[in-house]
Amino acid sequence: MKFVFTEDQLQFQDTMRGFLSQECTPDSIRSGWVDKQPLNQQRWNAIAELGVLGANLSEEDGGLGVDQVALALMVEEMGYVALPEPIAEQSFLINDVLHLFPDQIQDAIRAEFNEGKEYIAVSHPQNPHPVFLSEAKGLIMIDETSCHFVKPSDVSSELIKSNDPSRVLSRILGVKNTISSDDNFQQLNQEINSRGTLLTASLLLGLSQKMLDLSSAYVLDRNQFGKPIGSFQAVKHMLADIAVAIEFARPAVYRASYSLLETNPKSALHCAHAKYMAVKAAELACKNSIQAHGAMGYTWEMDLHIYMRKSWSLMACWGNDDYQQNIIFNTLRSSDDELGVLYTF
Amino acid sequence: MQILKMKISFTEEQNTFRQEIRSWLVANLPKEKLKSLDTKEGFEQHREWEKTLNSGNWSMVTWPKEYGGRGLNLIEWLIFEEEYYRVEAPTRVNQNGVFLLGPTLMEFGTDDQKNKFLNAMASGDHIWAQGWSEPGAGSDMAAIRTTAVLEDGFFVINGQKTWSSRAAYADYTFGLFRTDLESERHHGLSFILAPLDLPGITVRPIPQLDGEPGFAEIYFDDVRVPVENMIGGEGDGWKIAMATAGFERGLMLRSPARFQQTAAKLLSLYLENESQCSPAIQAKIVEAWAKSESYALSIYHTASKMMSGASIGSESSLGKIFWSELDYMMHETALKILGASAELDEEQHQNAAQWIKGFMFSYAGPIYAGTNEIQKNIIAERLLGLPR
Repeated sequence: MKFVFTEDQLQFQDTMRGFLSQECTPDSIRSGWVDKQPLNQQRWNAIAELGVLGANLSEEDGGLGVDQVALALMVEEMGYVALPEPIAEQSFLINDVLHLFPDQIQDAIRAEFNEGKEYIAVSHPQNPHPVFLSEAKGLIMIDETSCHFVKPSDVSSELIKSNDPSRVLSRILGVKNTISSDDNFQQLNQEINSRGTLLTASLLLGLSQKMLDLSSAYVLDRNQFGKPIGSFQAVKHMLADIAVAIEFARPAVYRASYSLLETNPKSALHCAHAKYMAVKAAELACKNSIQAHGAMGYTWEMDLHIYMRKSWSLMACWGNDDYQQNIIFNTLRSSDDELGVLYTF
Repeated sequence: MQILKMKISFTEEQNTFRQEIRSWLVANLPKEKLKSLDTKEGFEQHREWEKTLNSGNWSMVTWPKEYGGRGLNLIEWLIFEEEYYRVEAPTRVNQNGVFLLGPTLMEFGTDDQKNKFLNAMASGDHIWAQGWSEPGAGSDMAAIRTTAVLEDGFFVINGQKTWSSRAAYADYTFGLFRTDLESERHHGLSFILAPLDLPGITVRPIPQLDGEPGFAEIYFDDVRVPVENMIGGEGDGWKIAMATAGFERGLMLRSPARFQQTAAKLLSLYLENESQCSPAIQAKIVEAWAKSESYALSIYHTASKMMSGASIGSESSLGKIFWSELDYMMHETALKILGASAELDEEQHQNAAQWIKGFMFSYAGPIYAGTNEIQKNIIAERLLGLPR
C-alpha cells in the first residue's frame, strides 16, 4: 500500500502547470471569446509540440505511454486554467480507448488523427453535442447499440450556443458514409463512459481549486469596515468549506485513475464516485466563490465566471452527480460484496 | 528502479496481518456486550478488555515493542482498526491515552517518562482523562487560568478543569497549566500529568446527553504533583498541546473504519426498510457510502505520504470537519428510516436504541477536539492565508 505519486507522475503535472500558466491566461481565453475562436490553434500546436496530445498513447502508437494517474494530474492542471481546447475530455479519451475500437474504426482514426495531434470529436448519449466539430478530422459517434466513425464532411450539423463561450457545440442532424460496428460495443461503451466521467472529474478538481484560489486572493484584497473581508469568520468559513470538499474529492479521483490503470473490475463504480465527489466540490466552489466576491462576482469583467461557466458545463457532461448517484446506488443495492470496511481496496 | 511506485492495494504481509488480528478477535472478543464505559461497572469491564488486548500485544500496534506495541506502520494500524470496527469490538476506554498522550510522550517524553507511563497505558493500568478546557477556556484554550507553582520539586496546582473526558473514573489526567503566573495567552503554559487520586483533587462527574457521566469537572486545591510529571520544559506546553491536538484531529482519533462500518449498517437498515423509503433516502445512502469511502482513501493517502516523510499539520482540520458532519448525517438518515420506531428504547427496539444513542453522540463530533468553527478558522488562516 503506497498511495503516493511517483516522481515521474509529479513531473508531468509540474510541466503542464508551468506551460499552461503562461499559455492559457484569462486574457487569452477572453480574446478567443471576442474573436469567436475559442479554440486557439497556436496554443493547440504548442501543446502538440510538447508531446502532450498523444501523451497517453502507447509508444508504438507514437505517444509517451503516460499512465492514467499521471494523466489525472495533468488534466487537473488543464482544469485549473479552464483550457478551452478539449484535450482532456476528447483527445485523451480517444487515445485511452484506441485499442478497444473495432478494427475498421481504429484504422480510420489512425488515418486521420496523426498520432493524436489532430482532433477527433466525440458524441455520446452522455455528451450529445460534440465540441469544436468544425476543427475535427473525424467524429466518433456512440449511440445505444453501436459505434460509428464519420468524416466531418459527411456530417450535417448546426452550431448551437453554450453558456460557456469557450465551448462551441454542434447538434448533429444527419450523417452519411459512416463506418459502423457493434463489435466489442459493451466494453467500448463502458470504458468511454468511465473515462469521460473521470476526465471531467479531474477537470472539475482543477477548476474548483482555481475558484478557491481566486476567492482567497479577492477577500484578502477587498476591504470593508476598515479591514480585509477575509478576516471575517463568515467569509473564512465559506472558503474553508470549499477546501474541505476539494480535499475529499481528490483522493477519489486519484483512486479511480489508478483503478483504470490496473483494470480493476470496480473501475466504473470508482469513476462514478470520483465524478460524484468532484461535482459536489465544484458546486460548492461556484456558489461560495461568487458569494465571497460579492457583486463583483456577478460581473462579466471579473475572471471568476470563466471558471464557473466551464464548471457548470462539465458538471453536466458525462453524467452529473444525480446520474452518478444512480450508478452508485444500483451497485450498492445489487452487489454481492459487502460494500463496507473491507471493500475499499 | 521506482521506489515510490503507487500501489493502492495490500501486500501479502499486510493480508497475513489482517488474518492474524481477525482470528485473535474471534477468539478473544467478550462473549457478552460490555456495559457502557461511562458506568463504574462498565468502565472496569472496558479496563479488563484493554488488559486482554495488551496480552495479545494489540494495544497500539504502531508503538515500539518495548512499550507493548508491535513496531508496525500506519497502514497496519488502519488494517487493525478495520478489523476492530468490523466486529464492533468494545470502545477503547483508554483512547485519550493510547491515541493522544501516547504519541505525545513518544515525541516529547524523557526515557523515564516513557518507561513509567507507556507500558501502564498499554496495559490499561492507567486510564487517562483529558484536561484541557476550563470554565473560561473552551475554544479559546490560551485563556487557561489553572496555575501550577513550582515549590521544592513539586507543582502546587490550583484551579478547575472541565469537560474532561473519562475523568469520572480515570486514573490520570493530562493537560495544560499556567506555570508562569505573569504570563499571558499561550506563553507560560506547561504540559503536566496528574494522578486523579491525589489529596486536594475533587472530581465532579457531569451527566451527558445520554444521562451517563462521560466527562467531569476536576477541581484542584493545593494539589502537589512531582516536577518529573512535566512533559518537555516549563513554558513548552502550548507547542506540545498543539501536537497532541494534531494527533486527535488527524489520523488517530477517528480512523475511517468507524464511518465505513456505520455506512454499511445504514445500507443494511435501508434494505430492510426499503419499501417505506423515498428516493431522498437513497440519495443519503449514496452520500454516506461516497463520503466514508473518500475519507478512507484520504487517510490512506495521508498515511502513505507520512510514511514517505511528509508531516501532517493544519490539514488535519479538514478531516475533522468532514467526518463529524458525515457521522451526523448518517445517524440522522438512520432515524428517518426508522420512522416512528426511532424513539424506542432497547427493550422495544434494540436497533433503534443503538442508532439514537449514536445519533446523540454524533452531535458531539462537531464540538469536541476543537469545534468545527475553530477548525474552519484554522483552515482559512493557515491553509488559505487569510488574516486573523
